[in-house]
Amino acid sequence: MNPSSLKSRFATRFLRALTQIHARKPICSSSPTEIFRRYRRIKAAADKSMAYSVRSRKTWTGAVLWKLRSRSCGRRSAKTSTFIKSQQAIMKRTRHEKQNKNTTTTTTTGEHGVGFGVEASELRELVPGGEAMDYCNLLDETAHYIKCLTTQVKVMKKIADFYSL
Amino acid sequence: MELNAGAGGNGSHKTASERDEVAALESLQFTDEIRRLMSAPGGDNASSFTALLELPAPQAVQLIQSPDSAKLIAAPAPAPAPNVDDFRGSFQFPFNCGLIDRAARFSVFAGDGNINGNNKSNSPEPTSYNSSASLQKPVKNEPAETESSQPLVSDPTVENRSIKRKDREKVKGSSKKSKTSAKESSEDAEKLPYVHVRARRGQATDSHSLAERARREKINARMKLLQDLVPGCSKISGTALVLDEIINHVQSLQRQVEFLSMRLAAVNPRIDFNLDSVFTAESGSLMDSNFSGMVIPMMWPEVQLNGNRQQYPQQLHLDAFQQPVSGREEVCNSYLTPENSLLSYDSSGNSASLHSNQLKMEL
Repeated sequence: MNPSSLKSRFATRFLRALTQIHARKPICSSSPTEIFRRYRRIKAAADKSMAYSVRSRKTWTGAVLWKLRSRSCGRRSAKTSTFIKSQQAIMKRTRHEKQNKNTTTTTTTGEHGVGFGVEASELRELVPGGEAMDYCNLLDETAHYIKCLTTQVKVMKKIADFYSL
Repeated sequence: MELNAGAGGNGSHKTASERDEVAALESLQFTDEIRRLMSAPGGDNASSFTALLELPAPQAVQLIQSPDSAKLIAAPAPAPAPNVDDFRGSFQFPFNCGLIDRAARFSVFAGDGNINGNNKSNSPEPTSYNSSASLQKPVKNEPAETESSQPLVSDPTVENRSIKRKDREKVKGSSKKSKTSAKESSEDAEKLPYVHVRARRGQATDSHSLAERARREKINARMKLLQDLVPGCSKISGTALVLDEIINHVQSLQRQVEFLSMRLAAVNPRIDFNLDSVFTAESGSLMDSNFSGMVIPMMWPEVQLNGNRQQYPQQLHLDAFQQPVSGREEVCNSYLTPENSLLSYDSSGNSASLHSNQLKMEL
């Protein structure tokens, strides 16, 4: 197993987070609410560790971490902060793209919102941070997101299988 | 000089290309114009014109009578301006460097004398094409054209793209020739100084269309990558269906993650987590020593393990996908019972190292 692969990085981080969660609150009752809370924490830990394990800079990782932080801080500010963050992302991206590619700015900034029909808007909802991207980058982010999700699912499945025995 | 050689009718390659050009020209229904020009024999005007066209003139007449207009349309020859001066301008279209050079020399040579001559020859003719306006423009454009012949040579890739566009647009263009030729001629005349132009009426200017094409190609490349990532997507053709498939896949993956974390939440309390050492340690001896400190529930023989593993995920997946969130808690409760039954098995620790090795190999 490659020690520096995405899979191993994610697995290490996730297991550490799991140990922390279980160390913090050893389960006293297997009531549904307890389990639900724990589920929430574990899911958050999984997403967070996935976002941290990614080496290349991607928009969706920032969006995931932002959402998690804002959720932990306070749910009221979550929506506004994500909105502000998306606006900042748009600003950054347009500036970045203007520096790099002069010819395509008009087309790329015009693409936001003019997706390929219903599917693009659905995709934007699914992929974290997708609202603030043009169609071209959205496809890029989707590909990376799918790759990371598959590794996440594989690792978690193996861990769950391991511990369910 | 080439012109002299051409006048003598010796440049066979030139004649062939010019013949193609002329052929294509009248294939676009300028036959009347050409006939008029050809049949005006007197004096220098006509002779200069025929000298320009040199040998192809009689052959052009032959070609006019030939029915092979379809072939001519398909030939990658320059299109179409109705007037002689536009012919001359069209000779400068870059399909090979030699042609460009010849065309440049032609225009330089003919710039002074023949324009006036051709003006005279054209003016008495019925100007159904508003030739006067278009005649003036090429006069001005020609020096610019000669200058632009160099950039013409230096942009082969753009030319190739424009050539492809020409071939595509050619058929469309030829169909509306007669009605729109006047406008087209003026537009072509305007665009002649610039490179690659064959852009037809209604075509966007080149920088935008090129950028858009580049963008579209980028998007298509990324869609292909996505198709490879998502299983079962490569068979589907059509962007919308592929996108639907991708969306379904992303949704299913997200649900799987939720579902697995729910499972982990339910399972884990029984077991102590020291698997960090499993992944951080490279050597097997280290792993074994760490395992002694672990509480590992035990342990089926491997065959049964694999069978159970396969069973549970399927059940769990089906249940999770069918039930709403409130139902998940019940599902979790149902998971605990099989896990209890599993944990009740306490076989020897031999399989412990085996199992953790297995997990490591799998991961």
